Amino acid sequence: MGLFDKFVNKKTVEGIILGAPVSGEIIDITEVSDPTFAEKILGDGIAIRPSEGKFYAPCDGTLESLYPTGHAYSISSEDGAELLVHIGINTVELKGKHYSVHAKQGQKVRKGDLLVEVDLDVVRGDGYDVVTPMIIMNSGDYSKMNKASGEVRALENVLTLIK
Amino acid sequence: MVQFSYVINDELGLHARPAGLLVKLASGFTSTITLKCENGEADAKRLIALMKLGIQKGSNVQFTVAGDDEKEAVAALEQFMKEKL
Repeated sequence: MGLFDKFVNKKTVEGIILGAPVSGEIIDITEVSDPTFAEKILGDGIAIRPSEGKFYAPCDGTLESLYPTGHAYSISSEDGAELLVHIGINTVELKGKHYSVHAKQGQKVRKGDLLVEVDLDVVRGDGYDVVTPMIIMNSGDYSKMNKASGEVRALENVLTLIK
Repeated sequence: MVQFSYVINDELGLHARPAGLLVKLASGFTSTITLKCENGEADAKRLIALMKLGIQKGSNVQFTVAGDDEKEAVAALEQFMKEKL
């Protein structure tokens, strides 16, 4: 339990709460090896070094895009957040190899729906970093973003967005 | 209003990184910038809308730019597309 959980338990913070898309260790977005993420070109967020290959919807919303390659998906949440989960760095190059897609672009999703499964060991074996950024693409719409840190289980609260 | 079109030449299409860079470039202009392809159209300043189009190699993308800085915007966008996509 980190500082973040205390905030949530006390209900002193109101905002949009997003769960972890995958189990693993949270790392600072600025430490991601790809400058596109580290320099927040796509927006601010967090990254997770995944310990399991199951990737879920972090909130209720619409699956706005799920590339046929399975390496990235975006969701617009019911409360207006636009988030991107990008599974691994430069993994677009795998063209879907080692990724199984369990949902369809355009469908409604519920928090906890399994969207993509990945054989992480094989992706690593092909020489790719499996670090998974979760980016808020409209982060400019929020004045503050509370980020969790440390180890998380999938769907545990990791981000709170405050208007 | 100024329009131009471009056929995507990049093997991987308009995936997250180039889409993000395009949004960043487009957001630097006050003109409205709309991008249209066979899957629909999107505001080039909104990443989620751009990615939804799932633009692949071979797609013909038409840009429509309207506003005070449309000429500068078109020049910058054309250069970006040629260099990155």
